[in-house]
Amino acid sequence: MSSDFYKTSILPFAGIIIKLCRAYTNSQEDFEDYYQEVCLQIWRSKDNFREESQWSTWVCRISLNVCLTLLKKKKNNVQHFVSDSITIEETEDNYAFSNESLNLLYDAIRKLSEIDRAVIMLYLEEKSQKEIAEIIGTNPNNIGVRVKRIKNRLKKILDGKIN
Amino acid sequence: MEKSIENIWKEGFLESDALVAPKINNLYNQKSIHIIDKFKRMFRINLIAIVVFSFVFLVASYFIGIPITGIIFFVMLSVLVYFNKKLLNDLEQIDLGDSSYQYLKAFNQWKNNQISINKKFSRVLYPMIFISLILGFWFKDAQGMPLGERLVTEVLKGFPDIYLIFGIPLIVIVMVSIILVLLAYFGSRIYKWDLNIVYGRVFRKLDELMTDIESLRS
Repeated sequence: MSSDFYKTSILPFAGIIIKLCRAYTNSQEDFEDYYQEVCLQIWRSKDNFREESQWSTWVCRISLNVCLTLLKKKKNNVQHFVSDSITIEETEDNYAFSNESLNLLYDAIRKLSEIDRAVIMLYLEEKSQKEIAEIIGTNPNNIGVRVKRIKNRLKKILDGKIN
Repeated sequence: MEKSIENIWKEGFLESDALVAPKINNLYNQKSIHIIDKFKRMFRINLIAIVVFSFVFLVASYFIGIPITGIIFFVMLSVLVYFNKKLLNDLEQIDLGDSSYQYLKAFNQWKNNQISINKKFSRVLYPMIFISLILGFWFKDAQGMPLGERLVTEVLKGFPDIYLIFGIPLIVIVMVSIILVLLAYFGSRIYKWDLNIVYGRVFRKLDELMTDIESLRS
């Protein structure tokens, strides 16, 4: 990957990539792997971008696909060793933001289903319902209701934590 | 909850540490090591499978009545395994401490050398396998006499004027010779085809990785 491509086409969207990768990982090591894999995948598939959507939408879609694929691989690996249902992994202590409220919010987001995590992150990044639907590949009409339901769930989790 | 989640999100990411992008560094090293390790594992399993097969076939050939085939198979496959085990030992010597590009280049060099040696060997191996089958069945016992001699006797009944060399019909010698020459000629291609079936995917991944790294370096 040329550094020019990284600087011009990935770095401006590094924020959303970082935020998405954070939602699907529990340690700094995993986060770095996911981030690097996302960047590589964006670079590899750049020739497939047909400008039917915005570049930022394309970046989000690839980021999400990579995160979900890596998460699935990780789950499969864990299932080889654990026969019972998988418990939610604890986040490593050193994998935290300095802002405590943000840490709590991220912990709550990690408790959501994989797709709900993507929906709420994209909503918080102020993506339109149409863009969110385009990224996750669903009907835009359902997004509003889904966001509302996810927000309620997050509030419940956060209230429970704070209380 | 005092703040909405939207506010927590916005305020949280105002902090300078929240959005530090990791450096893209070690991924290619990890990928190179992973793919080459996978190849080594497959290569080792392949050699073990050849050893097991040559032993099983040696025993089976005795019971089928074609021990000559079994012995030639066993000797040829043992030589094949011996040389490839030596090649595998050389592969283990490649320094993992080098950069991923150097590591992949060293592996590529090893791979080309290995393919070149095995291509040459295949030009002998496939004809030898064919001749071992011919010899095995020729000398297979068929009611008190070798199967080959019995077949010649049967052929002579139908074609008494057929030309024989050392008791073997000339037409058979010519046909076997043509097949041997063809196998010697196409041996390396058969090997490449075989190689592609077993290791094609790994080699393609390695090529992709090399192209990626070369593009990175340019």
